[in-house]
Amino acid sequence: MRTGSWNDRNAYWLFPSAAVFVILLMMVFPLIYTIYNSFTDWSLTSGYGASWIGFRNYIEIFTNDERFWGSVWRTFYFTVLAMIFEVVLGVLIAVLFDAKDFRGKRVVRSIFLMAMMATPVAIAMVWMLIFEPTAGILNYMIRATGMQSILDAVGIGKILWITDGATVIPSLVLVDIWEWTPLISLIVIAGLATLSREPYESAMVDGANSFQIFFRITLPMIAPTIGVAALLRLVDCLKTFDIIYTMTMGGPGYSSETLNIYTYQTSFQYFNFGYASALLVVFFALVLGVSLIVTYLRRGLEN
Amino acid sequence: MARVELKNIEKVYEGGVKAVHGANVTIEDQEFVVFVGPSGCGKSTTLRMVAGLEDISSGDLYIDGERVNDLPPKDRNIAMVFQNYALYPHMTVYENMAFGLRIRKLPDAEIDSRVRAAAKILSIEMLLDRKPKALSGGQRQRVAVGRAIVRNPKVFLFDEPLSNLDAKLRVQMRTEIAKLHHRLKATMIYVTHDQVEAMTMGDKIVVMKDGLIHQIGSPLLLYDHPANKFVAGFIGSPPMNFLEGVIDAGTPLRVSGEGFSFAAAPEHREALLPHVGKKISIGIRPEHMLIAPRDQQDNVINAHITVIEELGAEAHIYMSRAIDDTENLIARVDQRHGYKMDDAVKITPEASAVRYFDGETGKALLGVIGPIRMSSRRQAE
Amino acid sequence: MSTAPLPQQERSSRTGRKLMSALYYFTIIVCMFFFLLPLLWMLLNALKTPLQIVQLPPKLIFEPTLDNFRNVFNQQNFIRYIWNSLVIAAGSTILGLVLGLPAAFSIARYKQKKLAVFILISRMVPGITFLLPLFIMFRTFSMVDTYTSLILAHLLVGLPFIVWVMVPFFESIPNDLIEAARVDGCSIFVTFIRIILPISLPGVVTGGILSFIFSWNNFMFSVVLASNRTKTVPVAIFNFISYAQIDWGGLMAAAVVITLPVLVITILTQKYVIRGLTAGAVKG
Repeated sequence: MRTGSWNDRNAYWLFPSAAVFVILLMMVFPLIYTIYNSFTDWSLTSGYGASWIGFRNYIEIFTNDERFWGSVWRTFYFTVLAMIFEVVLGVLIAVLFDAKDFRGKRVVRSIFLMAMMATPVAIAMVWMLIFEPTAGILNYMIRATGMQSILDAVGIGKILWITDGATVIPSLVLVDIWEWTPLISLIVIAGLATLSREPYESAMVDGANSFQIFFRITLPMIAPTIGVAALLRLVDCLKTFDIIYTMTMGGPGYSSETLNIYTYQTSFQYFNFGYASALLVVFFALVLGVSLIVTYLRRGLEN
Repeated sequence: MARVELKNIEKVYEGGVKAVHGANVTIEDQEFVVFVGPSGCGKSTTLRMVAGLEDISSGDLYIDGERVNDLPPKDRNIAMVFQNYALYPHMTVYENMAFGLRIRKLPDAEIDSRVRAAAKILSIEMLLDRKPKALSGGQRQRVAVGRAIVRNPKVFLFDEPLSNLDAKLRVQMRTEIAKLHHRLKATMIYVTHDQVEAMTMGDKIVVMKDGLIHQIGSPLLLYDHPANKFVAGFIGSPPMNFLEGVIDAGTPLRVSGEGFSFAAAPEHREALLPHVGKKISIGIRPEHMLIAPRDQQDNVINAHITVIEELGAEAHIYMSRAIDDTENLIARVDQRHGYKMDDAVKITPEASAVRYFDGETGKALLGVIGPIRMSSRRQAE
Repeated sequence: MSTAPLPQQERSSRTGRKLMSALYYFTIIVCMFFFLLPLLWMLLNALKTPLQIVQLPPKLIFEPTLDNFRNVFNQQNFIRYIWNSLVIAAGSTILGLVLGLPAAFSIARYKQKKLAVFILISRMVPGITFLLPLFIMFRTFSMVDTYTSLILAHLLVGLPFIVWVMVPFFESIPNDLIEAARVDGCSIFVTFIRIILPISLPGVVTGGILSFIFSWNNFMFSVVLASNRTKTVPVAIFNFISYAQIDWGGLMAAAVVITLPVLVITILTQKYVIRGLTAGAVKG
């Protein structure tokens, strides 16, 4: 604006300048650097310097790296499984919570919050103890309730949870569900609180029953909120690291190695910087791509 | 105290939208000027240009003889009362009023005496320690005014300050601001979309529409001699009646249209002569719609009554000449009119008070002449 | 309303309603139990001796011992790790606020959509994408295992979040208020400090608390960038299990020590935390 001091006129770039500088330095530059590195064969362990190898890393990733494809598959397996349970359970719990006024709502809400705010590494430790095949409470409960004999009878035997390749991802998903379902619930509860009562009252006057009200009124009205909550979860699910790495480090074998774990191992276990950079670029593109596609689809649905 | 001059002020937004076209207004020292018009007419933009909150695209703005186009708001010596009060929610009433003075680094004692004096004028002394959240709408409004008063500015600017108040409070605050103006003897510029506010408060009214100033003048001048059809229709409540018609030659000149014909007042003859045979709009204020005896044949507008609003001291009769009631003519008559709904009614216009507008441009045909000479009202009953 | 029901029906519908109500609260309690159990289990086992932990069926009533906690604080350099976590979390939060608040204000006031999208994307992108190049950069400048590098890295978590929370907050401040301050004689900077920030205090608290907690909980950045000098508690506790025999008691005690502050803050500032977590998803 002309009428104003120099400061006032330049506030629009002065205000964000420091943040932009940090973002450029800490995010944009590293990203460009990573893209550059992804075209080299730089490795700390090889003892040679880095040399330009063009698209060889990418070709290797897409044509010859079974571990990569396995990790992509596991990432989606983990994400889809977790998302289905978290969204459905989260919405159900939210609607349940919102349905009645009762004493102690604050306490219930605190418990929701505790699960998701607690330090993930600490949470992972507790679940390791819970999953422990012999001394863990989970298998003890299976034995105590007599379910073990059924499992034995059908040939499944003792469930080994995170130490068995077949059950490790569902087990990790269980932890993720425990940790993050409350986020969906909280967002939906907040969304429900902003809804106007009038459509409900009008539906009741029209003689709709509770199920009709839920499916015809409530669900359509909070659908956009559920959409945002699911999107937030989706982005984080694809990137899940803490609980997987601390509980299994991608094991047993590679059976819980998601993309994030694989790129981490390539970077900081094998110090294969060139190849890891290419993996990072692919991972980055994948997360961004999925987020954008989902955002786009959601907009399309809303209109 | 100061004189404010707007010379050819224009506002063009990025993208070429013109919000204000060449505004020329002189606001005399100690004058209370009201800018009025429908929303989006550019009145607020004009005020904000005076305040310095918007750049002036072209033209010159003078406050007290000094060109202030490029001065920031704080150096223009103005104070402004905003539509939503704009009180700082985290400060007490006292601090809200003191804030502008603190920014200007006045001594504490001076600030204190000014705040207390202003609070006394507005009778909000007992509210000084409260936060805005704990105030009613009317009290917030007073604090907003108080914040302007303490600054002791050359010019007070009001941007629709009463539009968030309920009807009763609005009437009360209206008189209070008028009293305040009388007491402070300050130059005040007031923006509103409410023509009643404009009529009751302004020494001078500036009517705007689509970024253009349509007329400037005293409330009565605007009421009696609107410069064009827009001003005529905008000022006054209930609004002026409009009929489409033509002027027929002869002595006296006659005005006629579908279903009516009446003689024009002799004093209008000269002004109307050039327009004989052309399409014109005829404007008649509701109080000049006189009810004629049932047997009168000449000088009447035939209509039937659609709604009667009894207001006690007077009544508003809504009429239509069309079968399907699409037309709405309003007459303001004495309470003892003796009519009821669906009655046929004959209206004779007060000829000297009828206003004529060009059928195409809407410009007033009579020009600005002396006050309306009234024949005895409501003679017909 | 329909016609009055028969008494018989009325009675059965009343018991039906009672049953529904009981079912309702039962479901709520089951849910709560599911979400609470792991945390209770953590606390319970932190107070048990190694023998009691592996004992089945698990004892719910026993003589609690504080040995595990004593071990954690004696054997390991735990106080040091807590201090590191505190410094890094506080540092990155303060820096995040100092940088993020003006940026968010600018985005809200000058409608800088591109900048907003830019910051949003940085919130979506996997952290590891930045971690490898940052590790290489910090290694080049010998900054690995310094507070500076960790604070800067954690800033990548806190800064976008603070902006994300604050933009809608600043957008909700009426423009009138800023203009009133301008007429009162404030420059935009003075307005920001004296009007905008005090009004936005709840938002600042929200952003600050969550940025702090996210930094405190952060594992991936710390495990790569921190080593002996700046090791944070999540990394320390992770290192516990690297040693052959798992000391479950010590592990649970350490888990309690690291989680407790977070949970206390969360419960005390519940309102703010919820507002922050649901920001952007729900209007108002």
